[in-house]
Amino acid sequence: MRRFDLIEPRSLAEAARELAADPESKAIAGGTALLILIKQGVYLPQRLVNLKKVRDGSYVEFDPARGLRLGALTSIFEVESHPLVRRHYPVLADAAHKVANIRIRNLATIGGNIAHGDYQSDPPSVLVALGARVATMGPEGERRLPIAEFLQGAYETALAPGELVREIEVPAPDPDVTGVYLKFVTRTAGDRPCAGVAAFVRRDDGIVRSLSVVVGAVSPVPVRLRAVEEQLTGRRPDPSTLRTAAALAAEAIDPVGDLRGTEWYKRQVVPVLVRRALEQVLGLPSS
Amino acid sequence: MIDLEFTLNGATESLAVQGNWTLLEVLRDRFGLTGTKEGCGVGVCGTCTVLLDGRPVSSCLLLATNVADRNVLTVEGLSVEGRLDPVQQAFLESTAFQCAFCTAGMMMTVKALLTAAPAAGEDEIKDYLAGNLCRCGTYLEVFAAVKRARDLEQARTNGWGAT
Repeated sequence: MRRFDLIEPRSLAEAARELAADPESKAIAGGTALLILIKQGVYLPQRLVNLKKVRDGSYVEFDPARGLRLGALTSIFEVESHPLVRRHYPVLADAAHKVANIRIRNLATIGGNIAHGDYQSDPPSVLVALGARVATMGPEGERRLPIAEFLQGAYETALAPGELVREIEVPAPDPDVTGVYLKFVTRTAGDRPCAGVAAFVRRDDGIVRSLSVVVGAVSPVPVRLRAVEEQLTGRRPDPSTLRTAAALAAEAIDPVGDLRGTEWYKRQVVPVLVRRALEQVLGLPSS
Repeated sequence: MIDLEFTLNGATESLAVQGNWTLLEVLRDRFGLTGTKEGCGVGVCGTCTVLLDGRPVSSCLLLATNVADRNVLTVEGLSVEGRLDPVQQAFLESTAFQCAFCTAGMMMTVKALLTAAPAAGEDEIKDYLAGNLCRCGTYLEVFAAVKRARDLEQARTNGWGAT
């Protein structure tokens, strides 16, 4: 692999200072994304700041009122297996479990997953659907912004030079909400998603009170399907309304063709996935 | 250069590494431990699987400096005093390989699986091994080896000796 200087800070604050000292340098955590780009010659850094020796970045904290806080350096495996995540955010745990393979999940971090801004990934759509926020730190101090604003495009985020992701916050869970994450792959089982759909619904006496449907891996950022949400809210969905919802989903997306599927192909896949996700969260028979 | 000290197959090792060296390069080129293979080099195929503190990782995507003060187990460290690990014995008995390029990585993943989830059912076994590719297609034999390894491990724990 091409040579680069590796700086090894011991705290997040020190890491932020190192990043700020040289705007060209980038942070590296698990390395499972960045090292591939370096090996393939797509990205040729001079100087990387290694976050893996930072001691204060990996933690999972939960408070019933405040919700979940994931230290940026928490591994994807830790997210999928931590008892508090599994109990209170089972869909997030499932999406983490569906990332790549066990080896990558042991190395990759949730902060790196978000900071890398790769649209072909599983956790971002679930985090968008859950209304997660990203806490950053940098030369201008700390910031907190909704993940839907943080993710700006394929490999583009709101991170300013010298800034790093410190923590991911997920709002307190609503016990009356049911959710699901469906991943569709077109190559190996551990492949990046061709498409993914996260759906969360709160119903009252069979009537949809609130709904959040997000499609991932299809556009440069996760896409919230507001038309579908509006169509179903206040209604008692049946197979016919779900067919309409699927058609609305197909209209709402603007797919990017990639190695996992052409634009046309993704346009066929997404409505089916959306329908299946809605059937599951609404407890309707699969059609 | 970065000074690195870590435990490799039970022994403490120290060496100086460059920041861009992967663990795979260090294992093969510095320690001559060529049992760990490089297949895809991008974390997909599983031939470079080693255990880091008992958990499987892709050594091709792990900067060597990040194993500082940690425990690395490679295929060379599986057998103890010439006695095959139950996983190795099971792969032999089940002929769970053809060309064997994937075997070291497969065995390391199986070792981790049997430690993490000794009672894993068929689906869990397949899910855990989904990231280890075998281009000869010996998957069915690998699944048989997982079950055989579990039996052998249990037999050893119970003091029945290898059956």
